[in-house]
Amino acid sequence: MFENIPILTIIIMLPLLGTVVTLLLGKHERHARVVALAFSLATFLLSLLVVYAFVTAPDPASAENNYHNGYQFYESYSWVDSLGISFTVGLDGISLPLFVLTTLLCLLSVLFSWDTTLRPKEYFGLMQILEVGVLGVFVSLDYFMFYVFWEVVLIPMYFLIGVWGGPNKDYAAIKFFIYTHVASLAILVAIMAMYFEAGVRSFGMEEIAQESIGFSRGMQLAIFAAMFFGFGVKLPMVPFHTWLPDAHVEAPTAGSVLLAGLLLKMGGYGIIRVAITSLPSGADDMVFPMAAIGTASILYGAIVCLAQKDLKKMVAYSSISHMGFVLLGFATLSEIGVVAGVFQMFAHGLVTAVLFMMCGVVQHKCGTRIIQNLGGLAKKMPIAAAFMTVGFLASLGLPSMVSFPSEFMVLYATFSAWSLWVLVPIIAVVITAAYYLWALQRSMFGPMTTKIDMSHVRDVDWFEAVPVGLLIALIAFFGVFPGLIFSRIDPAVQTLILRLFGGG
Amino acid sequence: MAAWESLQPFLPQLLLVLFALLMPALDYMFKDKRVLAAVALAPLLGISAAVALWTLAGVWEPPTSSIQLLSIDVFSGMFMLVFMSVGIIVVLSSPEFISKDKNQGEYYALILLAITGMTIVAEAEDLIALFVGLEIAGISSFALSGFRKGEKRSSEAATKYFIVGGFSSALTLFAISLFYGIAGTTSISELGPNMEDMFSRMDGAESVALLATVLLFAGLGFKIAAVPFHMWAPDVYEGAPTPISGLLAAASKKMGFAALFKVFLLGIIVVKADWEVAIAAIAIITMTVGNLIAVSQTNIKRMLAYSSIAQAGYILIVLPVGTQYAVAGGIFHILTHAFMKSGAFMVVAGMGAAAVGEKLDDFKGLSRRSPFLAFAMALLLLSLAGIPPLAGFSSKFVLFSSAVYGSLDPGPSWLVWLAIAGVLNSALSLYYYARVIKFMYMDKGPAEKFRPPPMITAAVAIAVIMTVILGVGFEPVVDALLEMAGDLFRALPLGT
Repeated sequence: MFENIPILTIIIMLPLLGTVVTLLLGKHERHARVVALAFSLATFLLSLLVVYAFVTAPDPASAENNYHNGYQFYESYSWVDSLGISFTVGLDGISLPLFVLTTLLCLLSVLFSWDTTLRPKEYFGLMQILEVGVLGVFVSLDYFMFYVFWEVVLIPMYFLIGVWGGPNKDYAAIKFFIYTHVASLAILVAIMAMYFEAGVRSFGMEEIAQESIGFSRGMQLAIFAAMFFGFGVKLPMVPFHTWLPDAHVEAPTAGSVLLAGLLLKMGGYGIIRVAITSLPSGADDMVFPMAAIGTASILYGAIVCLAQKDLKKMVAYSSISHMGFVLLGFATLSEIGVVAGVFQMFAHGLVTAVLFMMCGVVQHKCGTRIIQNLGGLAKKMPIAAAFMTVGFLASLGLPSMVSFPSEFMVLYATFSAWSLWVLVPIIAVVITAAYYLWALQRSMFGPMTTKIDMSHVRDVDWFEAVPVGLLIALIAFFGVFPGLIFSRIDPAVQTLILRLFGGG
Repeated sequence: MAAWESLQPFLPQLLLVLFALLMPALDYMFKDKRVLAAVALAPLLGISAAVALWTLAGVWEPPTSSIQLLSIDVFSGMFMLVFMSVGIIVVLSSPEFISKDKNQGEYYALILLAITGMTIVAEAEDLIALFVGLEIAGISSFALSGFRKGEKRSSEAATKYFIVGGFSSALTLFAISLFYGIAGTTSISELGPNMEDMFSRMDGAESVALLATVLLFAGLGFKIAAVPFHMWAPDVYEGAPTPISGLLAAASKKMGFAALFKVFLLGIIVVKADWEVAIAAIAIITMTVGNLIAVSQTNIKRMLAYSSIAQAGYILIVLPVGTQYAVAGGIFHILTHAFMKSGAFMVVAGMGAAAVGEKLDDFKGLSRRSPFLAFAMALLLLSLAGIPPLAGFSSKFVLFSSAVYGSLDPGPSWLVWLAIAGVLNSALSLYYYARVIKFMYMDKGPAEKFRPPPMITAAVAIAVIMTVILGVGFEPVVDALLEMAGDLFRALPLGT
């Protein structure tokens, strides 16, 4: 379908073009949202076409989708020849779900921010740059451009938090920026070390991976550790998670959606695409730390959620817990565990977007997110309460919702790898149910609160209901038909695991 | 014919001096002082275009000449590109900054003379030529920093700079005389072989060489403002007229690096084992001290001064690593830093011309007061911090990766700590750069808008555009540098 069409480059560049158009609006600032919506919709539709082409290709290895060595829609252009830097992109089953998740969440975030009146030109411009960065990360097959896109994501998010954030935004913005930048630098040094140790004068991921598998055990461990730290901070993993609650609580709603829905996924994606793929023996040596940190994140995030007073902060901490499942899945280094980890990233992206959007709705309409001050909202805003309930249930892993198959499979893989140790993360499943149901009961149901003036509280607006409704439909759909996504992720992971660990 | 050939390496200097001498005359003839700037731009533009067409595009090649004193090669060409670019940016933004000052003819003449001195250093093949170049540039810069002699800060800056500069010249000259004593030559390329010869014939020659090395590093250390020879820089940058601060930070300092690279990598690499650890330590200390002190500054020019001290620490990595990659990365970073730093100073000059102050607090709400200056400053600062896809990232990438490369087999593995110190320092520096961005975009300031004067706007725009171009399309520059550095090391009798 896209033979000889540089479709991925077009998709990445589209939001960039949108940014330029947005900035050229001049005095017509209020039209920024229309421009942003148009461009993100176009990007999303094109990405759907890519999915269609990916899924319907009769033989994936045919020239039809520019197939190259496991990747479809492959493009490669020389960038800085003397250093071996190239502009190389491609998609496989691991990146495809995250790629579509990105275009979807960016579109819905633009829609959700429809009533932004503070400096709209800059707001929507930054959102689109962010989309460029995240898309770039998920399609890059060259370390240099991977790192460039990785860092490009930081700046718009810094501004989104710092300008449109809550009362403590200055602190949160700079903490986010520096914390994750330090982590990036660990990745940078690791990339440099891999590049020179491989000695193939190329920053191409595939070229380096062919050499790096043969690195000495000590070298693999050192580089893997640096990468694991760098990606883990973004994930985030305990104990490097402290930037996340601050950033989330202060960020505007759309910022939180993108942060939790996409930026955290970059960390998980980096671990599987870069660290494990290039350095299998380093990964093998780090299985125990990865599993331990993953489990610790699952438990710690869940327990801390119980103590939260702020609805949004609770959702933020629940992200730490859920991303712990991703890490735990990867740590098994088994096919099913890695597939489950990737699926969990996709599932969490959908679910957490609903949760943050609903927190935004509550904040917007009631003026507070403090659970104690809420209560009985279901009577005033029934649709919102329904959305919130479905979101919470999806997040706690109710069967028929999208999180259930992924978390179940992570636990299954854990059981296969370490038998009864699986009981430790399972404790968190119970705690998760507890904090969600408890929060739901106190905020949405029960007697009507008297602490805030409820007389003017309205139900959700259309631009809030549409994105949330769409997400919930997807959550239910992929909860019932998880195989649609599994069957795309699985072949990519299968070849990877077979190549690296011989079927392990 | 022979005379003409021997003059060829002097052509850039002749051109610059000619135009410098023209300046005071033009000052009498024209009321509109912008004419002076326009004429002063001519040789700078001409030389930079010629050099760029030669080194980057390969359209033509200068004839090789036979004299021993100066030579035009890609190494000097790259540095000339740095000096000319900074010169263009500085001259372009000057007329509006000094529009009310007297003696404008002398001002432009001194800028051209300072650049003349810098180009001599870049071309020098001989320690004496090197020293003459350092002095020409130095004396012109002293006068330039004191250009506003009625202003207390400006005079103080000039006096300080003069005393420190005189001291550093004395050290340099003393070191040169010691080298001459050991090696019996002032030719940089003969220095190494002759010294080795002397070491084998005379006991104690090595300790004299070590003393000379220390003195030379101290002398040039003042020029590049490496810790502990950095004390003068913040005071002088703060006191000097802002365009001149840009010239000092972005060009003068780079002249010091040209001299350091020439002498340490071409001349005395035979005693590298004696100085590599010490200079590595100084590099790490310089970047750390520069960044730490920059955090607490309240004046933007002082902050930028400390930031360029830190950048000098990054560039110093080149010497202990001492490979093809390192030299290419170092000169690349010198080039990108020239644009970022001069651009940042010109933003300050633009604010100064609009009577906005130089305190960090004056940046509050700048994004509403002058969107262009705020955007330019944000981009330049992010580039200084090393955020991709901007120039500062690309050059730091090559520079730091050279230290990682050097640390792998068979190099000494401690070199990797230079890269780690570098990236940690970059993260540290992000704090104070991001704070200025926060002031500009997230804080509220005075409401009234202002428009920076057009020529300063143009100068800033050039710096910003180059910062973006060198961040994405840096291939020709890196190619030329790698090739040059490769030739450099192939020509060397490398004992290490």
